[in-house]
Amino acid sequence: MQPFDFIQPDTIDGTITALSNHTPNVRILNGGTDYLVELKHVHQSPGVIVDISRLTGIKGISLIDEGLRIGSGVTHTEIMSNPMVKEHVPAMIDAAHVVGAVQTRNLGTIGGNLVTCVPSMDSGPTLMALDAQVTILGPNGKRQSSLQDFFVGPRKTSLNIDELLLDIIIPKENLGKPAKFIKFGLRKGQALALVNAASALWLRDGKCTDVRIALGAVAPVVIRAKKAESVLEGNKLTDNLIDEAAKVAIREAKPIDDFRASKEYRNDLIEIAVRRTLKSAMLNSK
Amino acid sequence: MTDITLNVNGEVKTASVPPETTLLKMLREDLNFTGAKIGCDVGDCGACTVLVDGLAVNACLMLAAQANGKEVLTIEGLSTLDKYHPIQKAFEDVAALQCGFCGPGMIMATKALIDQEQELTRDQIKDALSGNLCRCTGYTKIIDGVIDAYEKITGRKVPARNPRAA
Amino acid sequence: MVDETKLAEKQETVETLRKVDDDLRLPSVPERNFFPKEIDIAPARLQTPAIGQRATRPDGRLHGLGQTKYIDDMFFPGMLHAKIKRAGVAHAKIKSIDVSEAQKMPGVQATLIGSEIPVNSFGPSLQDQPLLADQVVRHAGDGIAAVAAVTEQQALDALEKIKVVYEELPPVFDPIEAMSEDAIKIHNNDSNIYASKTIIKGDIEQGFKDSDYIFERRFTTQMVEHVPMEPHASIAEWDANGRVTLHSSLGRITLGRADIARTLEMPINRIRIIATVVGGNFGGKNEITTEPIISLLSKKTGHPVKCVFTREDEFISSTTRHPFIMDYKTGVSKEGKILARKVRIVCDGGAYCSWTETTLGKASILSAGPYNVENLHVDAYAVYTTKTVTGAMRGFGAPQVCFAYESHMDDIAAELGIEPLEIRLMNAFNEGSSSPTGQVLESVVVSDSLIMATERFGWKEWQK
Repeated sequence: MQPFDFIQPDTIDGTITALSNHTPNVRILNGGTDYLVELKHVHQSPGVIVDISRLTGIKGISLIDEGLRIGSGVTHTEIMSNPMVKEHVPAMIDAAHVVGAVQTRNLGTIGGNLVTCVPSMDSGPTLMALDAQVTILGPNGKRQSSLQDFFVGPRKTSLNIDELLLDIIIPKENLGKPAKFIKFGLRKGQALALVNAASALWLRDGKCTDVRIALGAVAPVVIRAKKAESVLEGNKLTDNLIDEAAKVAIREAKPIDDFRASKEYRNDLIEIAVRRTLKSAMLNSK
Repeated sequence: MTDITLNVNGEVKTASVPPETTLLKMLREDLNFTGAKIGCDVGDCGACTVLVDGLAVNACLMLAAQANGKEVLTIEGLSTLDKYHPIQKAFEDVAALQCGFCGPGMIMATKALIDQEQELTRDQIKDALSGNLCRCTGYTKIIDGVIDAYEKITGRKVPARNPRAA
Repeated sequence: MVDETKLAEKQETVETLRKVDDDLRLPSVPERNFFPKEIDIAPARLQTPAIGQRATRPDGRLHGLGQTKYIDDMFFPGMLHAKIKRAGVAHAKIKSIDVSEAQKMPGVQATLIGSEIPVNSFGPSLQDQPLLADQVVRHAGDGIAAVAAVTEQQALDALEKIKVVYEELPPVFDPIEAMSEDAIKIHNNDSNIYASKTIIKGDIEQGFKDSDYIFERRFTTQMVEHVPMEPHASIAEWDANGRVTLHSSLGRITLGRADIARTLEMPINRIRIIATVVGGNFGGKNEITTEPIISLLSKKTGHPVKCVFTREDEFISSTTRHPFIMDYKTGVSKEGKILARKVRIVCDGGAYCSWTETTLGKASILSAGPYNVENLHVDAYAVYTTKTVTGAMRGFGAPQVCFAYESHMDDIAAELGIEPLEIRLMNAFNEGSSSPTGQVLESVVVSDSLIMATERFGWKEWQK
């Protein structure tokens, strides 16, 4: 790696100050499971590395008025074993489990996964299907953002150089909402998603409401399959309707053709992923 | 240069290294613990697995500065003069390793798994070791070694392999 | 058995001595407490006959303790690190290589380019591969220049400063295209086909005439990289006597010495190679890679020089398994007996020959499978392409043809409605059968092995 300066502020305020002081030649480092790989392959120094791996202010999972707050520094391993996640948003456990391998999950954070913003990110679809919001702290204060606004493009978010992703909040009304995440990769572990997806819906009097279908790895960012959602919204959930929605979802995606899989194969996977996550969410709500 | 202090294998060690030094480089070159290996340097192969504060991590993806003040356990820290660690003994008894390069990483990942003290199935073992690649053995004997060690350390049994299952 | 009193006495002595050292302010050696001094020796090593006894691998203990020293675990005083600049372009003429900027970089002690190597060509059968490409680049992994620096990062940084001017040439990626007469010639030959083998046995025309059915299919296999957990690694030390000592992950050290003697134009008895425990070879470490390069760098700098491949180097610059394109045509009787077989193998021979001739030979002979084929015609070709060098990898051509002839057998069985095991037993070699090249086979157990295997694997249960 190219030489850089390393500072490890003790507090969140200290972090924001450090970011402001060294902008624009400053970068945040936490788990490093993606960023250190990048640093090993670039020829320019990042300048100053601000390490947030010990900041307690971005750790922890707790219930607050707005909903379930997950610190951006929470690792995938911590999510998998957290009782509140298990109770309120169990679909996130599957999503955390498929990230890399044990070693990756012990260091990698959910905040890091969101900020790195690769189209195939594993934590994106579930959070988007649950209407999660992110809290961003900068020198001018806090701001909240939906994930749709946060994800700008491949490896690009709306986070400025001098800002810190503080936490992710899953709205109170979506806690306990039946949801399911699925990932298709070429291997069971340490695999990039060919297609990943999450669905969430409420089933009341046999009709589904607030349907959310999020697709990953099939567009420049994680997207909502809104047309597929509207096929189901307010209707009785039958196998035929689920199949129809799954087919509509394919048209909303733009998967690539590459050495891992062809476009056609990914389209097939989209249909299967949407169908399975919807059926699973439906079963969870019984 | 920054001064890094680590508790490695029960001993306090200090070295002065450039900030961009990974924990792996510091262990291998500054502290002479060459057990953890450089297989890919990007966190894919697991040959550099060590335990930091009890968690299995890829040492190539952690800056030495991030590990400052932490407890690091490497393969060299498992055995003592009098006692050969049961995982290493199990691996030797079942001949789990061939070229041995993946060995330190596998054994450290195994230690992290067994330390968690939960009921284990063969599938869970495979999942826990999925971050450690091996090109020589095809993994079968390694898993046998893990099961042998687990059964000796915890006294519990792992359900037998179903030959029809994958 | 550990005597408790003796142990306590010994520890007391150690403590006293340590205190004396402290008082005298002598540098103390930290206690090495991580490997057991007493070992229990396996019974198999204590008695004869040992046959039938359970033995343990002699290196198992060292591996488990993390004590095995691979090349990259060795450090010598004053050792430098070398890295190789890779071409990154599939096919090009090299117009110029300028290392002057790299030489000025901090920590850089020496550079090396192909023209500085006395004989810049090597190879197990055809010496068609340069150590560092000098005139032409033939695949993206071709080495262009080497840098030796105090740290690995400094060496990598210096590689960036090496300026190479290429005149790009059209690449050739498809081996069948490469075979045609008007394809671009990758080496200075009339044809890109650089090795071929033909096996003719019996009369295939008559065999096909006598057949009730003829089956034809093309089978292809892909390029495979060995991915040894340990990347290629070597350390060279040139001494004041003009001798070079190498520690290397090289698998064939006599061949290595011969190649280094040839390329560096020095007597073989001045070359010493110490092959240590290797972290996986699988055929990929069977020939020299950087050994002559780092020997010259060591000579230039007067320091030991270590070169370890990065994982990227492993994928693009180390040898791989040949992709094969195999066209099979088999004539059978309606009972399923093979009467004639015609095979054409096109072996994607990569940018340089490496172990292709051996691979081709093995593949041709084995291409009919362990089956009695009285009328056989095999044509096999190795073709240059501007891709990663294809060389030795476990099986040397056998895995590829095995995939083809066994898949083909299953296809034929399915078409004829014959059980896959049955059709094989019908055609398998027997005692006294002759191989495709006329060798009379003895101790033939093909059928017995098949039957025993199917019984052990529960083949009949699986079929249900």
